[in-house]
Amino acid sequence: MHKLFASIKKDFLVLWNDKIGLALLFIMPIILVFVITIVQDSAYKVVNENRISLLLVNADQDSLSNQFVHNLSTSDFFSVEVNNTLSEDTINKVLIDEGYVLALYIPSDFSKKLRLKTDLVSNYMLKELGLSENQIQDSIENVHLKLFHDPVLQENYSSSIANIVAAFAKSLEGELLINEIGEQVGFKNSAEDLTEAMVNNRVEIDRIAASLSDRDILPNSTQHNVPAWTIFAMFFMVVSLGGKMVRERINGSFIRLKTMPTSFSVILASKLTVYLLVSVLQVILIFSLAKIIFPAIDLPPLIFPDNWLGFSAIVLISGLTAVSYAMVVGTIAKTQEQANGFGAVSIVILASIGGIWVPHFILPDFLQNLSNISPLYWCLKGFYTLFLLNGNWSVLLPIIGGLSAFILCCWIITYYKLKADKIL
Amino acid sequence: MKQPAIEIIDVRKKYPDAPFYSLKGVNLTINTQEKYGILGPNGAGKTTLISILCRVLEPSEGNVRYFSGEKEILPPEFQTKLGYVPQEYAFYEELTPIQNLDFFGAMYGVDRKEIRSRALSVLDRIGLSDVAHKKVNSFSGGMKRKVNLAIGIIHNPEVLILDEPTVGVDIQSKISILSFLDELNRSGTTIIYTSHHLDEAQEFCTRIAFLDQGNIVDEGATNELLAKHNASTLKELFITLSGNPIH
Repeated sequence: MHKLFASIKKDFLVLWNDKIGLALLFIMPIILVFVITIVQDSAYKVVNENRISLLLVNADQDSLSNQFVHNLSTSDFFSVEVNNTLSEDTINKVLIDEGYVLALYIPSDFSKKLRLKTDLVSNYMLKELGLSENQIQDSIENVHLKLFHDPVLQENYSSSIANIVAAFAKSLEGELLINEIGEQVGFKNSAEDLTEAMVNNRVEIDRIAASLSDRDILPNSTQHNVPAWTIFAMFFMVVSLGGKMVRERINGSFIRLKTMPTSFSVILASKLTVYLLVSVLQVILIFSLAKIIFPAIDLPPLIFPDNWLGFSAIVLISGLTAVSYAMVVGTIAKTQEQANGFGAVSIVILASIGGIWVPHFILPDFLQNLSNISPLYWCLKGFYTLFLLNGNWSVLLPIIGGLSAFILCCWIITYYKLKADKIL
Repeated sequence: MKQPAIEIIDVRKKYPDAPFYSLKGVNLTINTQEKYGILGPNGAGKTTLISILCRVLEPSEGNVRYFSGEKEILPPEFQTKLGYVPQEYAFYEELTPIQNLDFFGAMYGVDRKEIRSRALSVLDRIGLSDVAHKKVNSFSGGMKRKVNLAIGIIHNPEVLILDEPTVGVDIQSKISILSFLDELNRSGTTIIYTSHHLDEAQEFCTRIAFLDQGNIVDEGATNELLAKHNASTLKELFITLSGNPIH
């Protein structure tokens, strides 16, 4: 045990003296977790909570288009700035020159076309019901609104905005249709009541996150990002541990140790112990900050799962996986530059296909299949089982089994490479 | 009476995929308390031979016996009696000499209570006590060589094997290292060392073996060898034996 403690002390001191390595292991992930969570949370708030600034040009000026502008202006979604002096051609310039992100142009024939469209639909319906003999026009031109946006705006964001605007147009169209049918069938007095009744009885969608327990854990940017980027930080130890192992190999320390009456397993066990402790400290530090600091900066606080034993098991197996991977890189790389470069790039790739950067389900099929080889995917699955689904052991055990198999593979590769290098 | 510390019996070594043997049947006996030099040009097989003596490499053929007189010991027990100082700075430059000695001392199996006093004593003898608590990465090449040496003797070995211990150091450090090795030898430690600096070896070694292309060209007491081949320096002797000037 004295040898193991001495080796642990040495590995700890080597790490302690590597201030850049420590910053990579502790400071970088904290910054990453904070920045990514704040960015994602504000993106969520921009779409769902904040009012979106919208420059609006109404070239139509009809009562219908004015109603449409009123509906948009009084909604919770938009902060509307109307400027009817602009033309369709000048909007583009204003958008670029004056820093607007979004502009909606209502063309001069908007109301006319919308009325024609509702006429067509109502006539068709009434004729089908045998209530009208009117001739039905074969087709009419589609109603168009033009949504200008800054090209830096992400496609999914501008699509969401377009969908919201379309929903308002649809609502207006629905009201117009009800009025039209009401007028034609003769219940003029109750048309407004009918419209109100339909508007007030819209289908509402209750969003319910799937859970494996009775306890609801609301999925949000904190629950997603804190585990994901902590796993990324754990695996980034490949730069620190992998690099150090290569240096010990190259400078002859490992060979020197072979001339001493000490089993090399002591050397490996001490590295495993020190860096496993590092990964546990990373989790404690990042998760504590997310629990304590996040609410103070208006971010959702981290909600811990009920299954603390399962949580501990996932932390330990994830840490062990990260250390084992770093040791493989440290034994295979020929130079420190190779270990650092390959280690960092491989982690970024494994994180990408493992669902750390973007949700796993949006990846193409072949990448989703490929993600099975990413240890980060399995670690993330373990954390998400706990932090999003509040899952139990029956879900966790197969994940732990998969990670254990990965760890075993790493150890076998490490053993044979050290054997080939005459270190074992 | 001097006993054999190490007997090298017909040792051959061929690396996997190598077209020829690096050692081609080496036979040597190194007695206790000798200062034995294994000399030869770069690529002669000196480091391979030393690696086999330390059991870092296994010989392809042949055998090495340790203390084969009265108290022969077998691997791995010999490791406690053997100190090895590689050519590279095989330690942790981000740590202090004391921290390095604490670690390597423990790996040699030195008792936990004794390590610190031994480390301070070794550093004092080697002239590094003033910088015992400073990080090695701020040291000069000569000081790093001394740290490398200190690690090899922290467990008081009976045999100390050094691979080019003075390579790349200034003259003061070289003199200091060699006089320290002399002192160690006088206190009973057998010293086996490799070098391609023949003038240094002539001053330091009591016996030498010339190794060239994996063969022992000649071996014996330094003075006797010089007389035998009618040479005044080891440089002359090597040119006579190998037909090539040493590099």
